[in-house]
Amino acid sequence: MKTLKSLGLGFFLAVFILVCSGIMFWQAISMGYYSEYGPGPGFLPLWVNGLLIILAVMYLIISLIKSDIPLSKVFPKGEGFINVLVSMGAPILFLISIPYTGFVVASMITLFFLFLRGFKWYWSLGYSVGLSIILFMIFSTLLRVPVPVNVLGW
Amino acid sequence: MEAFSYLLQGFETALTWQNLLFCGIGVMFGMFVGVLPGLGPAAGTALLLPLTFTLEPVTAIIMLAGIYYGSMYGGTITSVLINTPGEASSVITCLDGYPLAKKGRAGAVLGIAAIGSFIGGIVSITGLVLMGPIIARQALKFGPPEYFALLVLGLTLLVALMGASLLKGLIGALFGLSLAFVGQDPSSGFIRFNFGETYLTNGIEFITMAMGLFGLSELFFNAEKSFREKAEEPPKVKGLLPNKDEWGPSMKAIGRGSILGFFLGLIPGLNSVIPTILSYSLEKKLSKDPSRFGKGAMEGVAGPETANNAYSGGALIPLFTLGIPTSPTIAILLGAFIMHGLTPGPTLFQTNPTVVWGIVASMFIGNAILLIMNWPLAGMWAKITMVPFKVLLPIILMVTILGTFSIRNSLFDVGVMIFFGILGYFLKKAGFPLAPIILTFVLGSLLETTLIQSLTMFEGEFSKFFTRPISGTILSIAIISILFSIISSIRGKRISTGDVEM
Repeated sequence: MKTLKSLGLGFFLAVFILVCSGIMFWQAISMGYYSEYGPGPGFLPLWVNGLLIILAVMYLIISLIKSDIPLSKVFPKGEGFINVLVSMGAPILFLISIPYTGFVVASMITLFFLFLRGFKWYWSLGYSVGLSIILFMIFSTLLRVPVPVNVLGW
Repeated sequence: MEAFSYLLQGFETALTWQNLLFCGIGVMFGMFVGVLPGLGPAAGTALLLPLTFTLEPVTAIIMLAGIYYGSMYGGTITSVLINTPGEASSVITCLDGYPLAKKGRAGAVLGIAAIGSFIGGIVSITGLVLMGPIIARQALKFGPPEYFALLVLGLTLLVALMGASLLKGLIGALFGLSLAFVGQDPSSGFIRFNFGETYLTNGIEFITMAMGLFGLSELFFNAEKSFREKAEEPPKVKGLLPNKDEWGPSMKAIGRGSILGFFLGLIPGLNSVIPTILSYSLEKKLSKDPSRFGKGAMEGVAGPETANNAYSGGALIPLFTLGIPTSPTIAILLGAFIMHGLTPGPTLFQTNPTVVWGIVASMFIGNAILLIMNWPLAGMWAKITMVPFKVLLPIILMVTILGTFSIRNSLFDVGVMIFFGILGYFLKKAGFPLAPIILTFVLGSLLETTLIQSLTMFEGEFSKFFTRPISGTILSIAIISILFSIISSIRGKRISTGDVEM
């Protein structure tokens, strides 16, 4: 058996799938397995999630006693690691900031951090401002997508 | 003959200026996706899908189909010139294409690859014209049990062949299927698994999930590389035709590749890599001097390049006639059909002949455009690889976010896409194939509906599936394929393919 520190990616994914399928299995029980007309809304979800629980447990056991991918090998080291974190964090930042700042500002902040990984700060600032305005014009003005805006209308 | 008169009507649709324009945009974007390593046809198609909202259904599908078969052409250029396959099906082209390019024969290789891709594409579309209506007519006789059996066969073949681990393939398939249960039950209208969230009442948006799993996760993967790396300058392309003595063997390889690729396209669960590997092995076996392969044999490029394009046309037959996607990119095309109010399947040829034949005709035109873009303009396309990832990442990421938002004007969907992007990254790291997740998700509703209809017909007796000849035979093949895969896994001799076409 492994210690908590030595648990790998497979273990965490198995737990994630187990929790998801467990919740859906539990909910499916109360949905009605069979009605007078035929199978009910809980019929297939019950079978599918039941099977998924069994397979997730098998995967969990394999991850614990046999092979697993160590967490240290999941992410690259050094610059690559920061690149991945910024790429994952930037869209989350966009999602959090857009209701408060509107599209153009949220997009500028997000793009600035992304461009900063490869360019000097002043270039990054220029590119992010320019690209945000171009995207706003294309999507909001040309394609009429109602992107969230601030009190100033952008 | 009837098919050809419909095809002529299709040309009438495809040759309108709007459809021609979007066919051109589609194949050009497909070429772009194919040339760029790290952005596959599934991600490329998903990326442009939300932008087709305002278009007519036929125009939108013409453009998206163009991305699909256009990407098959594009991958060749980088394989030959810089030994970097733009997409998975061009990996095998590197073996002989790059050594030939190093000998100064890049133009001839790209020429034969473009001719082969064109012939393969045309042969498979002709096959679609001839076989499509016949299969669709037969499929009209299918009832829910036969449909259910077909879906199960498609999914079991996919799980049996996809990824190194059967367990991970099965988990992926069932996970995708359980995600399809979120939202309204197709039979009773009962709202399931929405956890009180109104955005989930209509289920998880397919395109949102596809963009996350294929597009975003692929961007995260590519971000692992250094952003400061400089791309290799591609060599100049000189001479566009092979030598006299190379024409004969190359044309024979093209003929064999066309037939092989087309028929492999009809089988669910395969992907565009398998036809290229089989074609390469076949050419090597039939060659008078197999030792040339790997050092610069023209047939080693002609056969596989033809096979992967013939495959892409053949793979559209199950989609058009049965409504069953055989690969992730085709699944996204299915999503596009549904998004535009069309239902692929046997009735599509009858209810929307203008759309079907318009798309088929546009593929002839698209292939001709691609031939021109690949042959004399190959050198220009190769320069696209010089665009650094540090520029592409922010642009693609923001367009992906905006594209997802525009589907339902919902930030919730953007959040769902980011979630699936991060999940997809970790699933890939753990070796889970993503194709079963997306295919079971897209087919989940149809699978459940046909199962419930069948069981209602059979008064709950599952064994009655085996009393009908077609459903019984198909389900038996599905059971045998999964048993075969289990036995092979236990013996450690599992035949599997990678998760490609992303």
